Order: sequence, then structure tokens, then C-alpha cells
Amino acid sequence: MTDSFQNIEVFSFPEIESIDFKKIEKNYFKVILINLILVFLVLFAVASFIIYKDWLEIGQHYIWIFSALILLLVVTFIFEVIGFKKRKYAVREKDISYKKGFLYKSLTTVPFNRIQHIEIDQGPISRFFGLATLSVFTAGDSSDDLKIKGLLKEQSLQIKEFITNKIDG
Amino acid sequence: MDNINDFSQFRRQSKKGIIVIYLNLIYKFLKAFWILLFLFIQKFSKITQETLLYIYLGVAVLLIFLMIRAYLIFKNFKFKVEDKHFVLQKGIIKKTNTSIPFDRIQNINFKQNIIQQIINVHEVNVETAGSSKAEISIKALTFKDAKDLKNIVTIINKKQNLKADQIEIEEEKPLLKIGFLSLLKVSLTENHLQSLLLLFALLVGFFQQVNDLFKGLGKKEELSNFISNNTSALKTSVILIISLLVFLSIVAVISSIVRVFLRHFNLTMYLKNNAFEIYQGLTTKNSVVLKKEKVQHITISHNPVKKKLGISFITFKQAVSGKVNKKKDKSIKIVGCESIHITAIKNLLFPKENLNDFNKNKAEPYYRFRLYNRSFIFFIILNLGFYFGIENVNIFWLNIILLPIFVFSIELNYKKRYYYFNDNIIMLARGTVETHKTFLPFFKVQNITLKQNIFQVNRGVADIVFQTASGKVKIPCISFENANKIYNYTLFKIESSSKSWM
Repeated sequence: MTDSFQNIEVFSFPEIESIDFKKIEKNYFKVILINLILVFLVLFAVASFIIYKDWLEIGQHYIWIFSALILLLVVTFIFEVIGFKKRKYAVREKDISYKKGFLYKSLTTVPFNRIQHIEIDQGPISRFFGLATLSVFTAGDSSDDLKIKGLLKEQSLQIKEFITNKIDG
Repeated sequence: MDNINDFSQFRRQSKKGIIVIYLNLIYKFLKAFWILLFLFIQKFSKITQETLLYIYLGVAVLLIFLMIRAYLIFKNFKFKVEDKHFVLQKGIIKKTNTSIPFDRIQNINFKQNIIQQIINVHEVNVETAGSSKAEISIKALTFKDAKDLKNIVTIINKKQNLKADQIEIEEEKPLLKIGFLSLLKVSLTENHLQSLLLLFALLVGFFQQVNDLFKGLGKKEELSNFISNNTSALKTSVILIISLLVFLSIVAVISSIVRVFLRHFNLTMYLKNNAFEIYQGLTTKNSVVLKKEKVQHITISHNPVKKKLGISFITFKQAVSGKVNKKKDKSIKIVGCESIHITAIKNLLFPKENLNDFNKNKAEPYYRFRLYNRSFIFFIILNLGFYFGIENVNIFWLNIILLPIFVFSIELNYKKRYYYFNDNIIMLARGTVETHKTFLPFFKVQNITLKQNIFQVNRGVADIVFQTASGKVKIPCISFENANKIYNYTLFKIESSSKSWM
């Protein structure tokens, strides 16, 4: 066997690149936006407080500090906008995949027959929009398993049901 | 073996267990409060007769308290085997009842620390995987009990009711036995720098505790004065630096030898019942049973000196429980293997897998580019550190030595990144001075990730991360096309395999 990939052509099986990935709910962007605003509100409050008290003796540079913060906010916002479009997932007959990222792209696939358990959870802001997060756990170091944020609650339940049936059946 | 225990009734440990538990409690107490002891010894002369009496009284009360506690722990620790479950009851006030099905039991390991060796009992550890329940440790069992328990769990589980004497015969010839001389060879060729760093870390931890103590006593300045005086002396004397280096290398070699001998003394490996049995250790004797199917992947490593001597070490990675504890790394290391042993072990774990006829796949040149980039950034930070930290221009001459080392290690690292694979198994090589070869069967992979940063997208390369039940295995920077093929093929292998990964 000279070509290492020869056996792949013998069995034909679906290519991960050729399947249709679904985008996550558009509403989830609002959740991201609210989280972003909350984080930056805190940052601005801390910055104002420091300038007001003039602890670090940088009070006269306040224009620069606020400009830097606003720049950071704008850049993060742009990254979130681009990154949001990249968040996609796909459920196939035997596995579930999720891809994300724009500066750092990643694509993860978990085969159903390796899944230990599935979790659905909702944060307070997500709950308001009726969204949920689906987490899939496999054995071993489970910190880096698959996590799909921004699914509709019913949708996530359906996926969970589908996978559970597949595992048991 | 006439009267084999069947463990069907609740029973306690060997009575000697009280001693083991008692000494263990005292040890834990001393470990937590050794500073107090230190203070006590330091101020011994200043303490009045009366306070001394109180202190002795306190110690006596404490010892009695611990004794009672040890007895109660012993009294309340009961276990039995029932309906293919290992059942354990323990707890003095808060009672816990644990039941583990046999097929969740990963290993039954024996251990003997120095006390357990003296009173001739064995500690039995029941390791589980895939369940969140904590591990069970039975502190003291007689050798016969321990062996019976292990046989019950492993044989019933396997459903192969091999006769006991048949097992005994198999056990006679070890698969591998590492003698004194080979062990010495292993320790001399260890990574001494690593040993030194480990020792150093240990000393730093110790020093910090002492430092805290001095701080509390207001003597910190004395200590730091002492140190700064000595360091300024160091700067002027080259001879001192050289002798320090010689001293450090001797310390490093000795600490390597001590480390290797403590852990791997009398290393013996048997094959029994489709599982490896490994015995090793000097002060603490360890016995580990490693079921073949629970091994997720193995790594064979050696460095240039070891390669010349024809020895390498194998690391077995087993599945770990859901909550990964970094301290409890369940990898098992077998040092001093010769090539016959390696072939034997490989044939046992992955029968009929041959990788020699397949193409060698190298990492893309982008990998080298990335290594150069990263070390360039590190280099700049290092030099900035020199600039601000040490006000002496001569320090920059150090770069002349550092630069070739950097280039050399990057080139080596790049050269050693390659992988082979056949239908069932993938072999990844990596390393700089040492060479590590990891063998991973495709169906043991739990999930798979393809990673690309924006530069990698432009270059058409990608990283692949295999997540297994015992940690991640990475292939960095291979062409996107190949990465995609491996990705699809791995998924196909997992999804079409009916073999259990554990």
C-alpha cells in the first residue's frame, strides 16, 4: 500500500466539509450584546472611579483611558459580529458537530456512541429570549467537549431526544 | 487455595489496619502542623517547666484522640461483594454507602508503604473510571485476602472461570524484569535538568514555608540580608559559580538516581488474564493491574543516550473519571524497556498492526515557521528583561550562546514531528532532545477537533486534536487536505466500530 489514504476511497462516507451547517438563532446575538454591554459598563465604572479618586495619578489622561476603552469595545463588537456568523452546528445520523471562530477557527465532532451525557442549561438573559445551551460530554477531560450556545429551547430538547434515542436504540 | 474467601458477608480489614490508620492520621497531622513542631524545638530552652508539662499533656490527649478516631474509622469500615457489586460502608458520624459494579472497576492495585511492609499488610486501591464516585482505598488486608478479592473481581468480571492454579503457573514467567544494573543505566540517562527542577520546586516550597515563619517572627530582614550578601559575593567570584554548577550537576544526578530507585526498584511485569501486572517500588511497593482494553494509548520515549544503550520507557495512559484531577494522573510508566520488550508489549496491545510499510507524513514547514515566530517573541521578552533587570550591557553577549541553542532545538523539534498510520492505528512522533512516539488506535478517540488560526487558513494548514478518555493527543500543522481526510476517517472508524473503548 503506497498511498496511505487508499482505503478511504473504498468506503465512501460523508465528508464533514460537504454537509450543511445550520446557523444558531439570531436572537442569541442580543444575548452576546447585552453581556458585552454589561462587561463594559463595569469596566467604565471602574475606570471612572479610579480617575475620580485619582489613585494612580493618571487623572489628567482620562481622555486617553476612555478612548482606549471605547476602541476596545468597538473592536470586540466587530469581532463578535464576524464571529457570530461563524457559529454553526450540524447533527448527522451518527454524530454532532459545531464550528466557530474567525481568528481561531475550530470544528469539533462528537460521535453519538462516545457520548456520556447531555446537558441543557439556560442563563438568565438567554431564558428571556427562550434560548438554551446544549452541552455534550464524553469520557476523560470533559472541559473541552462540545457546547452549542444559542439554540431555541425546544430545538435543544429535540436534539437531546434524538441523540438519546440513537444511543439507546 | 482451599478456603477462598467469597466476601459475601460484610467484613472489616485486618486488625493491623488500626496501626496503619493511626500512623496515617499522625502523619497527616504532622504534615499540617510541622511548623508548630519546628517552633517548639527552636524555643525548647526558653519554655518554662510548667508550660512544657501542658504541652506534653496536650500531645498525649491528641495522641489518644487520634487513637480513638483510628479505632472508630476501623470499626466503621466494612465491605463485601454482592451481586457483582463491590459494596463499602464507612464513616463514623456521616455514614456513606458505596456500591460499584464490577465492570466499572478499572484496576485493583496493591500498595505497601514502609509501615505496611513492616507489619506485612497490603493496601488495596479500587480504581474506577467513568463514574463520579471516588476511589476506594482499603488500608490493610493480608496478602491472601487481597489476592482473593482481586481474583473475585477480575475473574467474575471476565466470566472466564480459570482455575486458580492455572493462573499461578502463568504468573511464574515475567514479561519483563528490570534488574539493578539496568535501573542504574536508566537513572544515569534520565533528564537530569528535570530532576534538578523537581528538587528545586520542592526546596522552594520548603523555603517559602520557612520564609513565612521568619516573617511572622520579624526576622525576615536578617534572612534576606544574608541572601543578598551571599549573592553579591557570587557575582564577583567565577570559581564559585563553576563549583556551584558542578555541585548542582552532582545533585541532579543523585536526585535522578534516588527518584528512579524509589519509584521503580525491582520493576517486574507479568501478563496474566489478558491484563498486565506491574510490581515496583522501594519504600512504597506498588502493584498495579492494567487491563489491556482500558489502555487508551501508549507512548514510547527515549533520548539519544538511552537510544545508544538500547533502552526506552513506555507510558500507558488509562481512562480517567469524569472529574479530572491533575494530581492523580493515571499514567503508568515502565522504565528500562529493551526493544524485545517493546515489540512484545506492542504486539499484545495492538496485534498485527504494522506501520513500517506506510508513508511517513511530516509536519508542514509552517510548523517550523510558527516555532521560529514564537521563540522570536520569547527572545524579545527575554532581552527586554535583561535590559530592565540587569544594568550591564555585557549580559547581551549571552545571546550568542542562546541563539544557536534556540535554532538547534527548533530544527530538531521540526524534524521529529511526523506521523504514520494504517487502517486502525495512528503513531505520532514528537520531541526535541527526547523522542516520544504515541500509538493511538482510532476507535479509542472520544471526539475530534480541527483547529486553524487565521494565518493557518491562509497557508492551508490545520491542527488536529484527538480527545481521548485519558487526555488530548495533537497533530499540529498538517495540510488542510490531509487533516480533513484524517478527520473523516477517524469519525468513520469510531462510528462504525462496535468495540468498546474501555
